[in-house]
Amino acid sequence: MPVIKYIKDNKEDIVTLWKKQMDEERPEYSNYTVPHKTMETANENFIDVIFDYLNGNGGESSEGVNVFIEQILQFGWPLSYLTSGLQVFRKVVMDVIDKNVTEAKDLLGLYKRTDAIIDPIFNQLIKDATETWEHTVSMQKSALLELSAPLIPIMEHISVMPLIGTIDTERAKLIMENLLQGVIDHGAEVVLIDITGVPVVDTMVAHHIIQASEAVRLVGSECILVGIRPEIAQTIVNLGIELGEFPTRSTLRKGIETALEMTKRKIINIAQEDGQ
Amino acid sequence: MRIPILKLYEYLLITIQVELDDRTAIQFQEDLLDKIHETGAKGVVIDLTTVDMIDSYIAKILDDVVKMSALLGAKVVLTGIRPAVAITLIDLGINLKGVPTSLDLEKGLEKLQQELEG
Amino acid sequence: METQASVKIRNEWDIVQARQLGRELSKEMGFGQVDQARITTAISELARNIYLYAQNGEIDVEAFGKVGRIGLKIISTDQGPGISDIRLVMQDGYTTSGGLGAGLPGVKRLMDDFKIHSQEGRGTEIVAIKWLR
Repeated sequence: MPVIKYIKDNKEDIVTLWKKQMDEERPEYSNYTVPHKTMETANENFIDVIFDYLNGNGGESSEGVNVFIEQILQFGWPLSYLTSGLQVFRKVVMDVIDKNVTEAKDLLGLYKRTDAIIDPIFNQLIKDATETWEHTVSMQKSALLELSAPLIPIMEHISVMPLIGTIDTERAKLIMENLLQGVIDHGAEVVLIDITGVPVVDTMVAHHIIQASEAVRLVGSECILVGIRPEIAQTIVNLGIELGEFPTRSTLRKGIETALEMTKRKIINIAQEDGQ
Repeated sequence: MRIPILKLYEYLLITIQVELDDRTAIQFQEDLLDKIHETGAKGVVIDLTTVDMIDSYIAKILDDVVKMSALLGAKVVLTGIRPAVAITLIDLGINLKGVPTSLDLEKGLEKLQQELEG
Repeated sequence: METQASVKIRNEWDIVQARQLGRELSKEMGFGQVDQARITTAISELARNIYLYAQNGEIDVEAFGKVGRIGLKIISTDQGPGISDIRLVMQDGYTTSGGLGAGLPGVKRLMDDFKIHSQEGRGTEIVAIKWLR
């Protein structure tokens, strides 16, 4: 007997049992609270989708399942909701088969064919879930890279690179490349590296900054490190970090003044004396 | 192979446009020192814009030639070191401390002028 | 993707040859400019080490794939005197040639993976890999 027909014939039983068990298993797959109503609708949907899939004879017509899986993952529901759903479905089907079939030979065949129907859904599920995660991770990665340090030309010969966030080795490499290419593109003679937005400056971060400033000097420009907060000055000294010879200033404003001096310019006030 | 050394007033200009093998690099070192001695040049600009690789050996030769030229009374500025080359040198642990640098040939000449006249 | 090429290192000109090989392969594989320079420089350092200390050896470069990643592998082999104390040569600033002391630690920093195997009196093998980002 084809197992699909068997499942369809017992649809009512299976659906009722499935819903009941899903409700019981709820704490297993849901570590956050979803309104009962929402959960019910989702379950309703889920079982419909499974039966739609079976109506398509488990062949090519798995689109409904795919769409459902995608939706669930996009809502940020746990993957375990979907896996529980499928496992419970398999269990319920087998229970129903158990109750109605007595021949051991028939049983084994039915079990096997049930697996053959459900396994492809599992595979699809795993594929979709990993794809979704990979996509998310790569999106976040490129978002992070976009955050990584633009070099902003603020005046002729002077550029600023504001650093924001934690600097790890990979980011440091990228920052260095951006920095040097920017120096060449803008013809920057002085670069201000602003670390106001860097939460922690440890030995590693300091090392990366020193290396960047040395590389900047090699291409023929100069660095000023600005945005040094008091607590960062403390850590730098406490850790015994030698910042080398390149100048540091507490604020971007002071750094710009120094940069102007280095390029033999200054800002003058052109406001007229208004004679009281 | 020999790298041409141009004289411009009291400066010497060199643009390195060939792949620097060891022999050429050493030859260049000798030629430059001879030329400084011969012309009494006060400043030298070595432009490296087209050089796509500097390993520790070539870095050493450049570092040496700057110090040797200083002994002969000539100030050397290296110009146009590419970002990729600068990063590689830093990875190698070479920072060429004490070697003056500029973005390009023009700025290198300006730097020499300022330091020698001002 | 399996491309392989090798250069025997016997004189200074062979160093340039080996570099050229790395330059071409890294470009062909699609490495960025900075990584191209890193690879070429690493090859230059390794080839020079062979020339200076072993007089006779070989640099192989190859493109290879491994679990979804593509990398460029440099293999440097020589039948020279070998290295008696690897820890010592891997220290920054250690040099016997009067260079700037970049040597092997420098190569290690230029590349992503670095393995060295040496036997005194037999020779040295160094394998260094750069992964395509």
